[in-house]
Amino acid sequence: MATIIKSYEPTFWDKLYIPALVKGLMVTIKHFFRRKVTIQYPDEYHIPPEGYRGLHRLNKFPEGRIKCVACEMCSAACPADCIHIIPGPSPWDEGNERYPVRFDIDLLRCIFCGFCEMACPEEAIELTEIYDFSDYTREDLIIDKDGLLEVFELTKDQKYYSRKNDSQEPQK
Amino acid sequence: MDFLSFFIICVKVLLVFAGTLLAVLIMVYAERRVSAFMQGRLGPNRVGPQGLLQPIADGIKFLMKEDIIPDGVNKPIYLLAPVIMLIPALMTFAVIPFGSTITLFDRDIILQVADVNIGILYILALTSIGVYGIVLAGWASNSKYTLIGGLRSSAQLISYELALGLSVVSIILMSGSLRLNDIVADQQGHLLSWYVFKQPLAFLIFLIATYAETNRLPFDLAEAEQELVGGYHTEYSSMKFAMFFMSEYANMITAAALTVTLFFGGWDVPLLDEKSLGIWGAMLSVASFILKMGFFLFLFIWIRWTFPRFRYDQLMKLGWKVLLPLSLINIFITGGYLTLAALK
Amino acid sequence: MPLLKIDDKEIQVQSGATVLETAEANGIEIPHYCYHPALEVVGSCRMCLVQVEGMPKLQVSCNTFVGDVHPDRKVDGKYDMVVHTQNDLVVQERKNILEFLLLNHPLDCPVCDQAGECYLQDYSFKFGNAHSRFEENKRVRSNEYLGSQIVINHNRCILCSRCVRFTQEISGTSELFVEARGYNTKVAALEEKPLDNLLAGNVADICPVGALLSTDYIHKNRIWNLKKQSSVCQDCSVGCNVDVFSQTNQIFRLTPRENHDVNGYFMCDIGRYGFHRFEEIERVTQPMIREGDSFVSFEWEEAIQETVDRLKRAGGKVAGVTSPYHTNETNFMLGLMVDGILGNLSQIDGEEINYPSGFRISSDRSPNRNGMNDVCPGNVDDLISDIDEQNIRTIYILDDGVDRDFDEVWKSILSKMDFVVVQTYRMTMLAQSANIILPGLAPFEREGTITNDGGRVQWLRPSLPIKGESRADWEILMMALKALDNNAQIFTDVSQVMKKMGEKIPAYKDVSFFNLGDKGLSLNGIASK
Repeated sequence: MATIIKSYEPTFWDKLYIPALVKGLMVTIKHFFRRKVTIQYPDEYHIPPEGYRGLHRLNKFPEGRIKCVACEMCSAACPADCIHIIPGPSPWDEGNERYPVRFDIDLLRCIFCGFCEMACPEEAIELTEIYDFSDYTREDLIIDKDGLLEVFELTKDQKYYSRKNDSQEPQK
Repeated sequence: MDFLSFFIICVKVLLVFAGTLLAVLIMVYAERRVSAFMQGRLGPNRVGPQGLLQPIADGIKFLMKEDIIPDGVNKPIYLLAPVIMLIPALMTFAVIPFGSTITLFDRDIILQVADVNIGILYILALTSIGVYGIVLAGWASNSKYTLIGGLRSSAQLISYELALGLSVVSIILMSGSLRLNDIVADQQGHLLSWYVFKQPLAFLIFLIATYAETNRLPFDLAEAEQELVGGYHTEYSSMKFAMFFMSEYANMITAAALTVTLFFGGWDVPLLDEKSLGIWGAMLSVASFILKMGFFLFLFIWIRWTFPRFRYDQLMKLGWKVLLPLSLINIFITGGYLTLAALK
Repeated sequence: MPLLKIDDKEIQVQSGATVLETAEANGIEIPHYCYHPALEVVGSCRMCLVQVEGMPKLQVSCNTFVGDVHPDRKVDGKYDMVVHTQNDLVVQERKNILEFLLLNHPLDCPVCDQAGECYLQDYSFKFGNAHSRFEENKRVRSNEYLGSQIVINHNRCILCSRCVRFTQEISGTSELFVEARGYNTKVAALEEKPLDNLLAGNVADICPVGALLSTDYIHKNRIWNLKKQSSVCQDCSVGCNVDVFSQTNQIFRLTPRENHDVNGYFMCDIGRYGFHRFEEIERVTQPMIREGDSFVSFEWEEAIQETVDRLKRAGGKVAGVTSPYHTNETNFMLGLMVDGILGNLSQIDGEEINYPSGFRISSDRSPNRNGMNDVCPGNVDDLISDIDEQNIRTIYILDDGVDRDFDEVWKSILSKMDFVVVQTYRMTMLAQSANIILPGLAPFEREGTITNDGGRVQWLRPSLPIKGESRADWEILMMALKALDNNAQIFTDVSQVMKKMGEKIPAYKDVSFFNLGDKGLSLNGIASK
């Protein structure tokens, strides 16, 4: 059944356009006085919502052992093929007998999909809230095991950016 | 003419010239800040307190930039175009009365650079010369974008200058003079003696036409970024581009000043006799003028960041089929009323 | 012949066949752990349980034999036996068995090197339960070394006893045994007699789970990262069929590939760990010409031109040295190029080892002596006397790549030579005495055919990329041949050399990659002496 849609017939008042124009002007002037959404980045940091997928980290046990057992589930799950692991026998007496000798992530290839996080059976790899990790060379953007563990130290308390905000000088 | 009056004129010229340029700088800053605020942003706030020195930084940037003259341009015209556009834009302000009379050194000094008895005609003539700058820039640049921009601009100006002129005719009918001082004097006293209340239709037509005249949104087809890159000044860089930029803002300031002068009593403060207050009255009148002008400048920005651009045919339709007949009708009504009033 | 029905499939089988074998041969999957075709049947894992009509309980299919029954007792009047492998009872029983097997099996697949080729993993996924009802603590034991190369992880062991039977039946050394009973059962070896025979590496292969591990591969890589290439072992003249597992340009492990005409299911540790020899050798990857006491690198064109100039100057008086380490094609090409006499370097012998199962390690540790002799009929045993007789001063040597001291014969041969060309991949003693070194390929980079001591031609496939400027050995000889004689044939691929070889050597006329396939082609002793 055909639906007949009647086109809207503008009245004289509509045809004047002036009320519509004034209405439009009112919208913009309302916004003029609204709170501004700009975050002045280097002075203050945006705090990403929980579950944000940023820079990776490798988790450690409280005793200091690396949780990763180099099972390479993450690199198998990785759609961008950016995780490279070289496994080896672990240097610790207790815990898992296997650990990553090298653990490199090519951040330029990474698409931050979080599959590695989901694939990990040991909850060792995690994506953190860190979003500003730009660098000058491609080589510097391949993060190694030490780098990933350093990220863990930085983001242990899940308050990387709020801590940074607190340490900022108050805005003039 | 004695030395003192020559000196006074020099001071006035300097004052107006500096004032206009300062206003241009403020407008450049305000444009960016206001637009940012309307979009929920902050805008430039890094250079100087609240970013107030941003236009200075912009100016330095323009001066430092490489001055490119593209291949295949008609060099003399290409170089002349920005000058043709800038000079009339700065000259128009000469006939605008921006305050009442001051009595200094036993002389009555009119706060106006030149009290020309055909002031309105002078302004209309000069703004028309400015169009040559645009057209020549568009033609000389040897680029399709600039050419189309220039053509659009000239067509637009011809269409809207008619409506503009005709709407001013009704004001001239009311005041009986082409002198801007007379027009201002006619609006003195009561608030309702401002022409905006006597001629609301003429005001509306005049306002719309000025936006088209100054190439501002919603009539900025001459520099429609999405279609024409930068319009007529696409091929210009460095200080030559800055000259176009400045003249556009200078035109806006003149347009705002003219609107105030013609329809809002100029420097008039309602219900106040400025002359009786001596020098303070003059100051007050200047402040009142600047305040009114400021509002219209803000309106320019406000409208720019509110309304979308007209399509070309809509623009022409509005100019020829709506504004022109309306302004003609307005003249007849005004003339008829004045004739009837004279007969009584 | 008994008529067997498995699920919906009617199968005619030989009397005495087991149900499991028949099912496998006919594409019906029956999961199993303890059954291995090379080993005695024990029926201990219970994974291959099937339902046989007329029998009161489920039967282990690996130990259930099919035979003719009396016509009156046939099921449905025609079947001698009816087997169900997919019905509810069997499926449920498999689940139960898997739950039992997993009681003490740790969930450490991420750490386990077997993950990816683990039968427990595969069957649990396919037939098992997702959850275990076992709530007690799992039994935990520490790892033990059974021998210098084998580690046992007791936690993962499911006590199928494949490894124990292997040492008893295949290697005949009986190092492994099942110790204790019940909860304390484990596979063990005596301290005085560790698992150190030359077949020990196989227990890690036949282990269906990750309990037995080779120390050579433990924690090295994941199985799915490795590229598997079927090839042939080049460490003795038996020519065991192997799979080479490599990633980028590194070999991680070798495993035996089933071939009943050569090695059965196994391989020895000499070949298994042999690939490590090539990891730290001094490779030659640039053509080099001697200048005084040192070598200078050259481009290929110059080196070949220099070689050919010298060969031409020598006229026909050139000796060629073929190599039993090289492929048939390379030796054949050398035979084409050298008109004079051909000989070879002194043979390196090892100990000949025979196992009770018939598995053999040959005393000749070169892979292709048979083939070399086949394709170069001009080979002489007494090279030095021929050289003396014909007063030869130029020699072209295909180097074995084995670094060894010269014996008296070779010392005198080399001292007589004005010009020595050595084609090699490694800076051996021989290469150091050369005038020109032409870089060839290392064993795992080569492609071609080799003939084992049983007269079987097998396809040697490359597993690693070519290093540096090196070129295939047959290609180097072809370039020299072309420079010597402008009418010489150009080959673009090793298969074309093979075809040419077949034309010249009648015994090899059927040899082609297509005919060789994975299992090789027997020459039926036509060419072999």
